[in-house]
Amino acid sequence: MGLFGFYLKRLYTIFKGEVLVLPSRIVVILFFLVLLFLPVVTQDPYLLRILILASIFAILAASWDLLSGFTGQMNFGHALFFGVGAYTAALLNLHVHIPPWGGIPLGGLAAVLTGLIIGIPCLRLRGTYLALTTLAFPIILLGIVFAIPGITGGELGVSGLARLTGSRMGDYYLTVVLMIGLCTIMWKITDSNTGLIFHAIREDEVAVRASGINTTRYKLLAFSLSGFFAGISGGLYAHFMRIAGPSNLEISMSFTVVIWAVFGGIVTIYGPVGAVFILFPLLEFMRFWPEYRMLMFAVVILLILLYMPEGLFPWIRHKIETECPRCKIRNIATRKTCRICTAELD
Amino acid sequence: MGQPFLEIEELNKGFGGLRAVDRVGFTMGRDEILGMIGPNGAGKTTILRLITAILKPDSGLIRFRGKDIVGLKTWDIVNLGIACTFQNMRPFRRLPIIANVMVSCLSPRAMKRGEWVKKVEAKAMDALEFAGISDMALEKASTLSQGDLKRLEVARAVATEPELLLLDEPFGGLSPAETDLMAKSIQRLHKGGRFGRLHSEGPAMIIVEHKLQQLMKIVDRIIVLNFGTIIADGAPEEVVKNREVIEAYLGKGGA
Ligand SMILES: Nc1ncnc2c1ncn2[C@@H]1O[C@H](COP(=O)(O)OP(=O)(O)OP(=O)(O)O)[C@@H](O)[C@H]1O
Ligand SMILES: [Mg+2]
Repeated sequence: MGLFGFYLKRLYTIFKGEVLVLPSRIVVILFFLVLLFLPVVTQDPYLLRILILASIFAILAASWDLLSGFTGQMNFGHALFFGVGAYTAALLNLHVHIPPWGGIPLGGLAAVLTGLIIGIPCLRLRGTYLALTTLAFPIILLGIVFAIPGITGGELGVSGLARLTGSRMGDYYLTVVLMIGLCTIMWKITDSNTGLIFHAIREDEVAVRASGINTTRYKLLAFSLSGFFAGISGGLYAHFMRIAGPSNLEISMSFTVVIWAVFGGIVTIYGPVGAVFILFPLLEFMRFWPEYRMLMFAVVILLILLYMPEGLFPWIRHKIETECPRCKIRNIATRKTCRICTAELD
Repeated sequence: MGQPFLEIEELNKGFGGLRAVDRVGFTMGRDEILGMIGPNGAGKTTILRLITAILKPDSGLIRFRGKDIVGLKTWDIVNLGIACTFQNMRPFRRLPIIANVMVSCLSPRAMKRGEWVKKVEAKAMDALEFAGISDMALEKASTLSQGDLKRLEVARAVATEPELLLLDEPFGGLSPAETDLMAKSIQRLHKGGRFGRLHSEGPAMIIVEHKLQQLMKIVDRIIVLNFGTIIADGAPEEVVKNREVIEAYLGKGGA
């Protein structure tokens, strides 16, 4: 009991010192808590469904940021990874009866393989050329899907898959916990030495090579890591919707991912995640005015990008927090002096 | 007996019709500091880029410690022990200065040689200390002055603990006082030893520089280039008296 109390106190001290000091961290913790405890308040199936899909797409948007935001390898065909994950999990489930907990990770691995395969021709390409090339890959796969309808179901897709868990609540907790876990892992990756090299590649690839770093290896690593998380997201989607279809590979799918990421703020991981949780429900809500839906959606995004070119969340963060000019630690905007080095904040 | 440390033979590189490097060949020893001078566009930077494989030669041989390095990737060459700086400075602008240097510290060569240093930050910090910009470690590279960017270039190169260091105009944009400091640092580095957790092999160096007076003080030998070819090669005092060199710099009849 004494020991338990001791750890509880330690935990509280860490919480107070690390989390409560910064509004952005409080917001993140609150966001996680609200998601985890929401079913206590309401179990409305429609609401849960929206949050499940938002969680799945949040993983997808974050995985795009990991590749395109951090290493600057503009991928306009991210639907490829999503589709490969979805179709792999679906086909394995339907034909080999592999359950979701096996098929979804295998879908992730299939997307890693895909990442390596498309990463190699992409290594030499930059900017617009890279963007156009990546745009083409999901379309090629779409062609294959239509070419062998006997296996892929063609236009109709692969349907009748096993349920994710069997209950809406189970689905909800599985996807939300996975979203929190996987996005935290992605954020940790970007915060590591590997993430530092990704970031440096985005700044100046030649200079990274001249620093003795094998940029080919790191770029392929970025492609496969991003592919893995996107593939998991695709597998989750397939099993939740109980169908993997050609729409998973469409251009609009790839573009939506980019829109989410840019709206939330790239090179952050948290930006794209937050953006999905705002934009996806918003789009659902606008279902009530179907004729204006896409137009209103576009206006919202344009307004945000016009006034917040770095994206919504970095903009908010700059408003509520200031960086100490001396030690570069972030402080709540209301403070006059830095919480660590006590330098004056301006 | 032994192979020359660096050996270059019949090196050629053209850009379109322009012969930027034309049948260049020289050798240098393990302990040499070699100055490389020549008018603008003479091909100095191009030669350094060919050595580090940032550019591919049209033909020619480059041997480092007897090993042919033509065709290797830039990172392999750096990990063999050749580091370079960029004349036009290429920092990772949106990263803090310390992170700029940490990238070099994460190269296989630096990691292998610093096993006893737990944190790459610590080693990167010592490289910054050596270059004299450790007080700005946390600032973004985009906020640095020209002179400090030069030092950052040097810190990044030094952090890979090279045996051959290629410096492209290390004094460019520095004030006379800063130039003296940089020259001292270069000489200290060449002597070898420890700089905190950073180890210096006492690298051989090729220094490209327009500031002749300062260069003369630190180099053992000077190679003069003009229109991509070597027109003189020798001790600094001899080279500056060479008639062809004076003409290349001042134009025919200038001297
Ligand atoms: N990437 C390139 N493409 C085309 N031409 C180039 C390229 N790089 C260099 N050149 C040309 O090759 C010639 C040699 O250039 P280089 O940069 O090696 O000269 P340098 O001796 O370093 O000159 P400086 O003292 O001005 O730095 C110049 O005429 C230059 O215009
Ligand atoms: Mg030059």
